[in-house]
Amino acid sequence: MTVLEQQQITGPRSGTRRRGSPLGSKWTPYFFLAPAALFILVFQVVPLAQEIFLSFTRTSLLNPTHSTWVGLDNFTRIFGDEDFRRTLLITLVYVVVCVVAAVGSGLAVALLLNKGFRGRGLARALVTIPWAAPGIAVALIAIWMLNPDYGIVNRFLDAVGLGVPGGAILDSPRYALPAVLATTIWQLFPFTSVVLLSALQSVPPHLTEAATMDGAGRWWTFRAVTWQVIKPTVGLLAVLMTIWSLRRFELIWLMTKGGPVGATETLVIDLYSQAFDSKQLGSAAAVGMVGVVISLIVIAGSRFVARAAEREAR
Amino acid sequence: MRPPHVGLTLRIIAVLVVLGIAVFPLYWMFVTALTNNSELFADKARLVPDFSQFGVFIDALAEGKATTWLRNSLVIAAGTTVLSIGLGIPLGYALSRFSFRGKALVAVVLLFTQMLPEALMVVPLFALFRRFDLLDSLGGLILVNSAFVLPIVALILKGAIDGLPRELEESARVDGARPLTVLTRINVPLIAPSLAATAVIAFFHAWNEYVFAVTFIFTPGMQPASVGIANFIGELGTPIQTVMAVAFMFTAPAVVFYLFVQKYVVAGMTAGAVKG
Repeated sequence: MTVLEQQQITGPRSGTRRRGSPLGSKWTPYFFLAPAALFILVFQVVPLAQEIFLSFTRTSLLNPTHSTWVGLDNFTRIFGDEDFRRTLLITLVYVVVCVVAAVGSGLAVALLLNKGFRGRGLARALVTIPWAAPGIAVALIAIWMLNPDYGIVNRFLDAVGLGVPGGAILDSPRYALPAVLATTIWQLFPFTSVVLLSALQSVPPHLTEAATMDGAGRWWTFRAVTWQVIKPTVGLLAVLMTIWSLRRFELIWLMTKGGPVGATETLVIDLYSQAFDSKQLGSAAAVGMVGVVISLIVIAGSRFVARAAEREAR
Repeated sequence: MRPPHVGLTLRIIAVLVVLGIAVFPLYWMFVTALTNNSELFADKARLVPDFSQFGVFIDALAEGKATTWLRNSLVIAAGTTVLSIGLGIPLGYALSRFSFRGKALVAVVLLFTQMLPEALMVVPLFALFRRFDLLDSLGGLILVNSAFVLPIVALILKGAIDGLPRELEESARVDGARPLTVLTRINVPLIAPSLAATAVIAFFHAWNEYVFAVTFIFTPGMQPASVGIANFIGELGTPIQTVMAVAFMFTAPAVVFYLFVQKYVVAGMTAGAVKG
């Protein structure tokens, strides 16, 4: 209901105490909204605006109140920098693998848990555990499990003859990113599988039964019925996983600090080390803006695809 | 066609493998805490906990540092829960029940802020906090954590209020109850499950938070457990058993509480992210 309609119903306000109006005055929503809005303004919107400003300046962490306006210099410089292009590529690999593996493994686990069996409730609860564990604890246990000398992963790999020479997985430019990815996906798959499980349970059983009765094989039934129902959920999860992966910091930072030699450096890691190691707040902000713009493009793109799919369905 | 019991056996094996993968790392944390030194560095790994070593948990707490960290985390997390829900209920109510100018903008801002990385916002917030003397204080962390968890809290509560029938509150309003009374007396008690879910989300968002805590706190005695535990990494002085014992005590509450409300948490998180 618009403000105008509301005024038509409540009529002109008299000086007497409001009575009987089912919606209160037109200020009522703002009264409820104001504290939270003020809070978000102060702690999110204003700092973001400052960060956008910083990305067009040269500013040192050591003297942050003194900024020199440099226009687009930070952006032209980072895009001309080979290290930054590698960071973009690693971010792309990290995000794509996270999305595909988290959604894929989530779907596999959801399908596994979708059939009724004894102890399914317990299984479903236990599967949630990785997602509930704090990132700090996950990083710590991952580092210990990957310890070159005593880590259980290396002991296992050695035992089956697949051991990494020297065993220092997190120090290896080749294996560090896969190890960080595996840890990330371990933490994500519970979320995707529980969400997809609830989507699967909204698939009307009579439809799958009808498809089976018509002689459809399992794969065909999945594609024609199940997949159609869960498609929007899969799309949503893909967007969520993309955004979460673009902003993930502590797991990567604590496991590798972006190393070795930049092998696990995503945009957020790059921005943090630019700000706090190189003390370049301007280029750090520029790196951050690149990440924000990518997120925005993904969100806008997903909305576009969802709308197109809706139109097609009609 | 395969006989049916082969499929069933395969399914059971697959479920067990998935459960093993899900549970093993935390189990391993527990086992490591409860393994004595000679076995820890032996050629063959000990695979089951040695409960005679249980003193490591008590020693870790008695030593005092870990107790201080966990207490600081508790204060930050409890404060964040109260503040973000206190702000999120009225915001969710306004978004659910009223039409007003700027509503679309509010919805967009709530979605947009959810994608901002903490690491990006840490610099301007550091400057803001320094100006208002909020650095090195638990209160400052409560403020910033509440700001970051508020969008998802508000969107979940909006969804919960959307699901309540309007008739109840309309009749109360006709009887002359003020809008705030309607909200606190009629709506809030009815959304208790969602409140529990948002409380768990807000609490453990702050409990797990690391970037702001490590940047804004300088006094060791003010550090929350996330920072204290992260500082173990690369430090050699503390026995690995103590490290794992503290990490386990930090992890267990999060896991236990999530198990209780996971259904509402998952529903809320997806609803908050989808509709907005």
